[in-house]
Amino acid sequence: MTKNVIPIGPFHPLLEEAEYFKLTVEGETVTDIEVDIGYMHRGHEFISERKTFTQSIFLVERICGICSTSHPLAFVHAVEDIDQTAVPVRAAYIRTLVGELERVHSHLLWLGLAGHFIGYDTLWMWAWKYRESILDMFEVISGNRNHYGIMRVGGVSRDVPADVIPGLAAVLDTVEGKMAMLAKAAADDPVLRSRLKGVGVLSRQAAVDYCATGPTARASGVAIDVRKDEPRDAYGWVEFKVIVLPNGDVYDKLVVRVLEILESIKIIRQCLDKLKTEPGPILNDVKEIPAGEGIGRYEAPRGEVFHYVRGDGSNRPVRHKVRAPSFMNIPTCAVSCKGIPLADALITLASVDPCYCCTERTIHVVDRRRRIRAVNLVELSRRKTERLRREIHG
Amino acid sequence: MVDKKQFLEAMKSRIGSIIDKKGRLYFEVADKQLSEVARYLFRTMGCRLSTATAMETYRGLEVLYHFSHDATGQYYCPRVIITDKNAPRVTSITPIVPGAEWIEREMAELLGIRFEGHPLPEKLLTRRHPGRLDRPLRLRRQP
Amino acid sequence: MGWYNKRLAKSLWVFHVSASPCNNCDIEILDLLTPRYDVERFGIKLVGSIRQADVLLVTGIINQKVAPYVRRLYKQAPRPVFVVGIGGCPASGCCFKESYNISPRGEEVIPIDLYIPGCPPKPEAMIDGIVRLIGVLRG
Repeated sequence: MTKNVIPIGPFHPLLEEAEYFKLTVEGETVTDIEVDIGYMHRGHEFISERKTFTQSIFLVERICGICSTSHPLAFVHAVEDIDQTAVPVRAAYIRTLVGELERVHSHLLWLGLAGHFIGYDTLWMWAWKYRESILDMFEVISGNRNHYGIMRVGGVSRDVPADVIPGLAAVLDTVEGKMAMLAKAAADDPVLRSRLKGVGVLSRQAAVDYCATGPTARASGVAIDVRKDEPRDAYGWVEFKVIVLPNGDVYDKLVVRVLEILESIKIIRQCLDKLKTEPGPILNDVKEIPAGEGIGRYEAPRGEVFHYVRGDGSNRPVRHKVRAPSFMNIPTCAVSCKGIPLADALITLASVDPCYCCTERTIHVVDRRRRIRAVNLVELSRRKTERLRREIHG
Repeated sequence: MVDKKQFLEAMKSRIGSIIDKKGRLYFEVADKQLSEVARYLFRTMGCRLSTATAMETYRGLEVLYHFSHDATGQYYCPRVIITDKNAPRVTSITPIVPGAEWIEREMAELLGIRFEGHPLPEKLLTRRHPGRLDRPLRLRRQP
Repeated sequence: MGWYNKRLAKSLWVFHVSASPCNNCDIEILDLLTPRYDVERFGIKLVGSIRQADVLLVTGIINQKVAPYVRRLYKQAPRPVFVVGIGGCPASGCCFKESYNISPRGEEVIPIDLYIPGCPPKPEAMIDGIVRLIGVLRG
């Protein structure tokens, strides 16, 4: 059986980040995958040593636009970990509120893209339409749709006044209703089930070996969640469930994310309730960061974001290490992509929700004998959905 | 479940100076003992490797691993100090922890540390890079 | 070319080149296609192939690894093509000016015709920029 090597990337229309995947196929089955990254490397750790602690907060926001709360939160946790700086109660609730809103908006974004790959463009348009209301909430709370800039060492910089809270709660009601509808529609659709069930399985042992985090690990039966393992800010004071599913296929990853949106809405409601009545300051004015090292982490929509900061008593970090969750999750593609048909390769690569939303890829088949020029992975994926729809619905 | 006291008892002979903070345990380990400690943390205790940090200090190059014990929220951080700045080398833990592959490749690229026993010691972020990036996170100090 | 440009302005097809961005500008570009802003009613479409593009939307700081690919894409685009730099990154490097991996600021990777600043620019700002481009094309 001849082996063909298919390079994917680094550029394509909806490609959010350039990434180069090399899939080796035998016939129609993927046998190996190699990932080449570095098209996004901007040298954050180098720049951070030349900025003060507060300037670094704005710098780390721009590591990724979608998890633009997770990185500043993990960073301020790390700096506060150096000498156990306390955070006022009201600030803790505001931090949790913004973090959970970001989780809702990020999962809705992923849901839309997953729909687009399978061929359900309506799902894409609807998921992103409801995402707009969440972005409006962000604009009311922080002044910007993305890149909020409200985290500070020792608290937050902007308060949520009591008169905007009823408006925010009303938006949440709408989103929750629509989410319940979308969840039911996805669960009831037999084409979606046959498309995604059993596809791109990541076993529990592989998830543990590769140290995967976030929904990628939780869909494979590994029950880890930074919000429960090490509760900081308001996570120790709100009630929520951690969603864990056993199978590790793409369907489970989708269900984990949909259920997490509903859990996040619960947390947001509890935070808004508390913010109506909780008094107090929003910022502990920290004058000095002593010498020492600190570890901070946060449960981003994609997994555990890890920041390590070492200071020497001055106002700049000596070393600032950043590890985004996708760094641990993308190598798991090597396991979950082996042995799957080519039409499923795209949705499997996208199911780990790479922080650079991996979307369309154009493949150029390097096989002179068959003379195939450019095959679009999205096309292959959609054609498979059409075929399944005809089989199931007749 | 093995907790911090049991860990310190079992690994007493292998670890050097300790910094014990709330939820964080930093301790020094010689390069020879690193595989034993990593194996104990990953296999026996069931910790997960979060990442590893490498930096250049006055003492030499330092590689700090971060193992997370998710059941208790405690971090165990073995630290290896490499005194030879011109040809720094450390034993790789990728044969024990497969998830460390990309982490060690990144450290090798940005600081020039050689990880012995690493199955795929190739550049991660600057493969096919048109320019030449020479260990960008090292401090350039002229004697 | 003036006659051609006037017709082009009725339906601009855009190709998105993401050259080391943080993704925020890219998500805001995709937001333009979704029901709230919906630029498809102006005839603006996102295309899959560089050969069909009228406008290149460049985001990000264009780091050294990706610069040759961006140059190659610019050469492959059929003329006339207009390059729009979206966000603070192509304009000035934003906060990554001191990075070791950024393209040297003195030299141009590809000539950029229109800058839309912001971090990220709001979709309304992007629509405003495109409208100005259409105005220039119409003469």
